[in-house]
Parts: sequence; structure tokens; C-alpha cells
Amino acid sequence: MKAIRLRAVTREAQLLLIGIPVLLWTLIPVYHLFLFAISERDSATSGRLWPKNPTLQNFQTVFEQKHFYLNHFWVQLGNSLMIAIAVGLITLAVATMAAFAISRLRVRGGRMVMNMALFTYFIPAAFLAVPMYKTMANYGLLNNRWSLVLAMVTIASPYCIWVLKQASDKLPWELDEAARIDGATPWQLFRLVYMPLMVPSLVAVGTYALLLAWNEYLYGFLLLSNETDLTLAVALGNFLAADDSPWELLMATGLIYAVPPAAIYYAFKRYMVSGLTAGAVKS
Amino acid sequence: MAAVSFRDVEKSFGSTKVIHGIGFDIADGEFTVLVGPSGCGKSTLLRMLAGLEEISGGTIAIDGHVVNDVESKDRDIAMVFQSYALYPHMTVGENMGFSLKLRKADPALTKDRVAQAAKILNLGPYLDRYPRELSGGQRQRVAMGRAIVRDPKVFLFDEPLSNLDAKLRVAMRAEIKALHQRLRTTTVYVTHDQVEAMTMADRIVVMQDGRIEQIGTPLELYDRPANLFVAQFIGSPAMNVVAGTFRRDAGQAWVEADGGVRWPLAATAPAADGQRVVYGVRPSDLAVAASQRSVAAEVIVVEPTGAETELLVRVGASEIVVVVHGRPEAQPGATVPLAIDPAAVHLFDPTNGSALA
Repeated sequence: MKAIRLRAVTREAQLLLIGIPVLLWTLIPVYHLFLFAISERDSATSGRLWPKNPTLQNFQTVFEQKHFYLNHFWVQLGNSLMIAIAVGLITLAVATMAAFAISRLRVRGGRMVMNMALFTYFIPAAFLAVPMYKTMANYGLLNNRWSLVLAMVTIASPYCIWVLKQASDKLPWELDEAARIDGATPWQLFRLVYMPLMVPSLVAVGTYALLLAWNEYLYGFLLLSNETDLTLAVALGNFLAADDSPWELLMATGLIYAVPPAAIYYAFKRYMVSGLTAGAVKS
Repeated sequence: MAAVSFRDVEKSFGSTKVIHGIGFDIADGEFTVLVGPSGCGKSTLLRMLAGLEEISGGTIAIDGHVVNDVESKDRDIAMVFQSYALYPHMTVGENMGFSLKLRKADPALTKDRVAQAAKILNLGPYLDRYPRELSGGQRQRVAMGRAIVRDPKVFLFDEPLSNLDAKLRVAMRAEIKALHQRLRTTTVYVTHDQVEAMTMADRIVVMQDGRIEQIGTPLELYDRPANLFVAQFIGSPAMNVVAGTFRRDAGQAWVEADGGVRWPLAATAPAADGQRVVYGVRPSDLAVAASQRSVAAEVIVVEPTGAETELLVRVGASEIVVVVHGRPEAQPGATVPLAIDPAAVHLFDPTNGSALA
């Protein structure tokens, strides 16, 4: 009895030993961000754990666009939002249909297409930046927000197709057969049976693509140059162009920029549940 | 409702042939059971009829129309799967009405048909529930309801009771049979369970290795099995078989087996003196009683089941199962006489297993 309790305690201790550093590792930068964001300009780098005069002034400056770097804050936040949502939706559409075709309709050559798409991940995205730039130039899409959307869809799709294909493979095959006998066309099967059962995976994959686009810097930096076309991520980078960067504003904007991903995660968390197919087939 | 016919139907997966030219007809309204051990091709045949598998050769016709190139949805069939295959995100009512919804039927009509089917299957109180909230038997009934709502030409059942426990299986068996008697829809039912086949079928098709062994009514198969496979597959416990040599002398016929046992036969038995044969007798055609031609048996195991008692006995070199009514006073180790009705004996050719007639 005592031995068992001792073992449980040791185990707990081991978990804490790993857990606490991981927690600190994650939280300290966020705290730092927060600390800067509520500090006055002069005391931001004072090294204190809590500012002497905490203030929300920085946020007001950001929201009212009262700084040279923040002249287009709302437009740029809108760009980020528009691009991220577009990437999420388009990637979802592409990946869902591809996964359905490969996994459920068993289209000839489907697996090869998927493997080839996955193969692109062997090449770091940074290497593809220049060819992508050139391609976008060919299509006359440079300085157009759609160029970033298309580039991010290209980068996000292979992984999303793969994830959705794995998830679709787990759906009971009999459901498709039952639907076919019930008179469903492939499109009806997709819409009425496949999609509703894939909701958890769709939410996960859509969120992934959306956040990937939201956080993207390199491609945004390359493909967009007009101040009013930039995403906030690229605009934040521009803060560092000067010798005398307004760190407190950078951090306040960064904190604002970090809120939507967290909100999205909590909003969609409840959809990312398993067990949606319970009761379909006896297993 | 419709007749179904199979003509020289073949199926290959790659270079492996699994169905070897099968042909038979199913009459309009008939309840036909395809039965056989796993891997015999019965499910494949059903799936070919359903349009879920390509037909490699021959033709399948429903209601006189060849359906080889007709899609499942246009064959006017309904299928009940072993795993139920209910749509988990739809309620019971939506599951049952799905096919009509796809056909863009009038919602009022759909509701009506679903309500009717639910009434037949006692699913009325569950129409708004989801499959995950139902028991196995209820899910199976929903799967049947989905088929009924369609009012198809042919019902297909693919081992629908295999996932249910023994008690529920017996109850559902009766329900399916009653349903058929009520609707009179042509039904093709696949099972590996010969008891299911015997109790439900108008006609049974016994299959093995992608071929038909015999087609007939349950009692035809039981009374006149065409070969050893059918003889041993149909009937529970299985028929006892003993290899031996046919002898005829002084107006009497018998089969002489190892150990010098003389298994009695009717004098008219269709074999020649000295011919090697397989002697088959059902456990219920044996009795523990002394008679002129009884054989001596040593009791090995006694298994009382209440109304009947199953005895495992040794006769010569063979182990034989005997089913007797009542509760015989046999003890393991004792020697008892076994009386055999010579008219109930089956003889088979040991080379190809076919029945001697």
C-alpha cells in the first residue's frame, strides 16, 4: 500500500518536473509581451516584474492609430482577418473535396496526387518563396492580397488533405454503401453524409490553415508592399525598421494580434470532439 | 416486388476467382437464404445483386431487366447491413426517411411512410432519437425500417443478426419472418448460420467455395442432401458420417466400418457389394434401444439439455452423436445398444461426396 502511494507520488513529481518548466517556457514570453504592453514608454525596459504605473495608454494609441507605424492599423488588421479567413475556407474546400475523392470515391491516381502534394514539404517553404514570387508576378497578382491567399492555400493544402484523408479512412465504409443504395449521388453523399461526420476534422483543419495564414510573415513580406495591403504581421515587423522602435506599442499591437487565435481556439474547441460517429456501425 | 435471376454469374478479384458461374432463380415474393461457411461467396453474390460489386461475368436480372450496368440506386433494392450502417448524425426518423428525401418525395408522404414503418417495427417512440441512443436490437430495427420505407422490389439482408446476442437473434429472426409474411417482398438473406437459414427460408441456396452445392426448401435439404457437404452443414448437431464398405448378403444390406461394426441399411440401398461408401445418419435418427440390428456403443459424454439429451458415444472406431428425447439412464463408460432406422440412412460416394440414389 505504502509502496503504491510512494510510486504515485514519484510519478506525480516526475510529471511536475517536466510540466513546470514547460509552463514557464510558454508563459514567460507572453508575460513579457503583456508587461511591455502595459508599461509607459520609458519604463518598459526597466526590468521590473510589474510596472510602477501600469497603463492602457498604449492600447489607446494603437486603436486610435496615433503613431507613424500604426497609421493603417485597422486596415491591416482587416487584411489579416480577410486573408486568414479566405485561406481557411479555400483550403477547407480544396482539402475536403480532395480527401473525399481520394478516400471515399477512390479516384484512380488519387493516392499518387496526395503523395506528390506531401512531397512538396521536403522543400522548405522559404526556398519556394522566390519561385512563388515569380509565379505571382506572371499572373500579375503581386501587391494583391489574393496572392498571399493563394500562396498560403498552396502551402496549407497538402497537410490538410493528408489529415482529412486519414480521418475519412476511419469512417465506416458501409455508410457510403448504404447511402448509395438509398439513392445518393456522390455529391449528395459528400454533402449529406460525409461532411456532417467530418465536422471535427474540418474544424481542426480549417483552424490550422487559418492560423497558418494569420501568423505568416515571410510570404506576406514578399508578396505585398502597399501599406494598405499589408497584414498586421508584416506591419509589426516594420516597427523594427527604425533604430528607436516603440517597443511598448509593438508589444501592445502584438498582444491584440494574439487575441483572435486564442479566441478561435476556444470557440472551436468544443467541435473538435471525437465520437461523432458513435452508433453508426457496430464495431 | 420482383423475381430475381442469376445466369452464369462470375466474380474475380484480380486473378482470384471467387464465384464460379452461379445460376438460379428467385421467384417473386420468395424468401431465399444464401448460406455457407465464411468465404463461400454468399456475401459477394449479394453485393453483386446490390450493385456494390462489379459483375465479372454472366448476368443478374431483377424483374426481367438485366442490371449488370445499372447503379445501386436505380436497382430499386434495399439492403440491411450486418453493421446496421445507420447515419449517426441523423435521428431515427431521418435515417428512415433519407432515401425518400434523396428522391425529393413530398415531405408529408415521407413522414407518413416513416410513421407506418415505425409502427410495424415498434419504433414509434424512438423516431427523434439518435442511433447512439438505441440498443443493438433497436438499431437493427431502424436499419430494417430504412429498407421498408423504400418499398423496394427486393430486400437484401447481409448477416443482419450476427451482431446481436443469442436471445435477441431468435426474437429478430421471428420479426423478420413475420415482416416478410406481411409485406411479401422478394427477399435475399445471407447468413452463415444454418439454423437461421432453416427457420426463415422458403428456399435455401447452400454455397461452398463460390459454387452452389444444393438449392431446395429447408426440409428438402434436410431430408435429401445432395452431397456430404450439405448433409453435414444443414442440421444441428451435424449428421454423423462413417466411412465403410457396402455389403449385401441374404436379403440384408449393411455398411461394414473399421472395427467390424455393421451399420444397418435398407435392403434396397443403392450400392454394389464391396463398394466404398460413406454412411450418414442424423443424431435424431438414432435411438438408445435394443433391436435385431442395433450396434453396440460406448457412452463417452452425456449432455442433458432438458427436453433432449445429447450423447457422445463410440461405435467401433467412430465417435457418434445421438440425440434422444427424455433423459436416458446412460452413464459414461457404459455400453448401450443403438437402434437405427435404416430408412433414415444416407449413403454418399466417398470420391466426390455426392449422395447415392
